[in-house]
Amino acid sequence: MSFRHVDQYAAVVSPVTRTVPTARLLGTVTLAAGSAALPFGAWMPLAVLFLAVLLIARAARVPARQLFIRTTGPFVLVFLASAGLLVLVPGEPLFTLGVLKVSSQGLERFAFVLGRASVALSAAVILVSTTSFPELLHAFRELRLPHVVTASLGVGYRLLYILVDELERLQRAARSRNAGTGSTTRRRLLVGITAAGLSRAFSRGERTHRAMLARGYAGDVPALFSQSWDRRSTLALVMLVLLVGIVLGGAHILS
Amino acid sequence: MEMLVVVSDLSYRYPDGTAALNGVSFAVAAGERVALLGPTGSGKSTLLQHLNGLLPATAGSVAIAGITVVPSTLRDVRRRVGLVFQDPNDQLFLPTLLEDVAFAPLNDGVPAHEAAHLARETLAELGLAGVEHRAAHHLSGGERRLAALATVLVSRPAVLVLDEPTGDLDARSRRRLVGLLLRREETLLVATHDLGIAESLCRRGVVLHEGRVVADAALGDLLVDRALLERYGLAAPLE
Amino acid sequence: MAHIPDGFLSGTVMVGTAIASGAALAVAARRSRRDLAEREAPILGAVTAFVFASQMLNFPIGAGTSVHLLGGVLVGAIVGPWSGMLVLFAVLLVQALLFQDGGIASLGANTLNLSIISVGAGVLLYRWFLALVGVGDRRRVGAAAVAAFLSTVLVGGAVAVELAASGTIPIKPALVVVGGGHILVGVVEAVLTGAILATLLRVRPELVTVSAGARPVSRPLALGVAGVTALLAMAAGYVASTRPDVLEAAASRLGLAQQESVGATPFGDYGAPASGAWAAALIGVVVVFGLGWVVVRLLARGRLRA
Ligand SMILES: Nc1ncnc2c1ncn2[C@@H]1O[C@H](COP(=O)(O)OP(=O)(O)OP(=O)(O)O)[C@@H](O)[C@H]1O
Ligand SMILES: [Mg+2]
Repeated sequence: MSFRHVDQYAAVVSPVTRTVPTARLLGTVTLAAGSAALPFGAWMPLAVLFLAVLLIARAARVPARQLFIRTTGPFVLVFLASAGLLVLVPGEPLFTLGVLKVSSQGLERFAFVLGRASVALSAAVILVSTTSFPELLHAFRELRLPHVVTASLGVGYRLLYILVDELERLQRAARSRNAGTGSTTRRRLLVGITAAGLSRAFSRGERTHRAMLARGYAGDVPALFSQSWDRRSTLALVMLVLLVGIVLGGAHILS
Repeated sequence: MEMLVVVSDLSYRYPDGTAALNGVSFAVAAGERVALLGPTGSGKSTLLQHLNGLLPATAGSVAIAGITVVPSTLRDVRRRVGLVFQDPNDQLFLPTLLEDVAFAPLNDGVPAHEAAHLARETLAELGLAGVEHRAAHHLSGGERRLAALATVLVSRPAVLVLDEPTGDLDARSRRRLVGLLLRREETLLVATHDLGIAESLCRRGVVLHEGRVVADAALGDLLVDRALLERYGLAAPLE
Repeated sequence: MAHIPDGFLSGTVMVGTAIASGAALAVAARRSRRDLAEREAPILGAVTAFVFASQMLNFPIGAGTSVHLLGGVLVGAIVGPWSGMLVLFAVLLVQALLFQDGGIASLGANTLNLSIISVGAGVLLYRWFLALVGVGDRRRVGAAAVAAFLSTVLVGGAVAVELAASGTIPIKPALVVVGGGHILVGVVEAVLTGAILATLLRVRPELVTVSAGARPVSRPLALGVAGVTALLAMAAGYVASTRPDVLEAAASRLGLAQQESVGATPFGDYGAPASGAWAAALIGVVVVFGLGWVVVRLLARGRLRA
């Protein structure tokens, strides 16, 4: 995971970006939750949701290549995490890998988990490809997340960039000073850098705090933007929720 | 003449015991441009933070436009004094430049749309129109300096206080900054060890050394006093 | 697998954990304001950025695997439990939405595990140990390290239970693999937490020692809690050893064991070696407690001053 992904949204105008960020966020959550809530074995409904995500990606003008590349990294992680299902889920043994028995139930569950994850991952990639961090932050505010959360994310976003820069510099400096390359050395180095990073983060936070006070800060980070919901956003969101609801209901009735 | 900034017998000791200021006195008239000179560790940044009430005086006092800096007057004082920190990264802490620049007016109770308008206007004045929705880490060092300046100019302060404003700038950005500052009306107090900048911006210089004012004179006179400059580490001795 | 991706949890579990997390966060939001007042945004912003940055640094633990800091106890010890929960939630939220690290629909479960349990239980344990071992930098580091280890194991247990309750994996293998895996993660977490705290105590002691909202736990209370815990553990050990089916019965009532497990697992039975169940339970409890005590003391001697 690279934090620089945060800033990789494209400033493309599309039917998706014309909805308010809050609607985009809620739509993503709806898709992810809908696919995650599908009962095991509901392959048809899963296919419907997957198709819906692909259509939205198209409408959002997210290139297929980008969608594929950006989902691959997280997908590999999900793949590794769910590989355990192959052998942990009991059932009729299908074949054996050494001492591990792979069951047919395990295989199906493994595949289904991957399917559900792909829908959620694609939805998330569409969100980040269309929505900038400041827009997301507005959505969080509009959704009434605690002020502590939105304010620390607001300040933390910039600090993250500054901090990563400083950590990279620390790492380079440490590397140039000691030639050791063993994994013990590496571990010790990482511990040292992490610790130094925390105290740097604090000093930076305190200096920022003073700079904020100098400009009249009194405990609230006021929001500059407010967005008004338009009919387009409401309509799009309602349609998405209906679609997911129908698919989900159908899947549960069928199973 | 009306004195806008009056520092009298100001002393400050950091909690760890470092005596950073030892009885500093000077005054700046409205419209004046003063360079605060001094080697590293002489107490320039410490002094500037007192002008804004960020540090409480251990002894002595500071008054801005006749208002003595005490906890109850901080709001009024901070509205009049625009302090730009040594590191612009400390000042630009929000996701977009526009939010950073609008921060001060919003804190002052200006409604959001008006604050946004003010912020846009200020950014445009400094030639930063078009980047207002960018994050500071996507700006060049020079643009970042200007943006930090914008975050205080937006409140139309009476005194502009700059700490080491040209630290990491190349010659061209430096010239651009000087040009911008010369066109402004605000009273200016610039802490620096860059004599070139001091000369192009100011007529008067105050030299600080170990927390004391050791010289306060016309900059032209200071800059030709080789012995003084060498004594206080402002110029390297000639071979 | 500390961050549960989407696809692993059932609808019931997702909704249940989301409600639990939401309620806990609401309480945290109210309480944290009181702890930090107007310092909150810049300081918590700094901690948020730090947790983010540190979770990008991976620590190799051998066999090609690496883990990263979870930070529950570390953050909780510095900014207090309530703000700590909110900071870790903020991190999880952005990780789920922007990095697809941990699922969006499983955010409720991940928040419960990595924010509420990790910070909440972690800080409770930390303060409890601190009251048991007394004050002092080295003891602080030791207490934090042990608390970090235990809270990580608890997180592993919670993940296992959630996976089992979703019907994804039966409870026994889930506990063994996921819970067991977190023992390893916990060791790294303990070392990192201890080392970072030790450094911080050296360079910025005021950040750790005047941590926000900390009411010192009194020693008698701490000892009392220790006694009750020991009794409970003994009772549980007794029940488990005399009637191994009780655990399973309880699990099936909770819907955890919907399928029978494949053969024997290390959780099979707590069989007593010789002189009956009580002796086994007692030995177990004494060993666990003794180990915990020794570890805290040893760490307190200063091996961890990195
Ligand atoms: N937070 C602090 N705690 C303790 N001592 C400090 C602190 N900040 C500065 N000092 C000390 O106070 C003295 C004055 O520091 P100050 O930062 O004001 O100098 P300066 O003139 O701005 O230097 P520079 O040109 O390097 O910015 C120095 O001796 C410094 O070590
Ligand atoms: Mg300075």
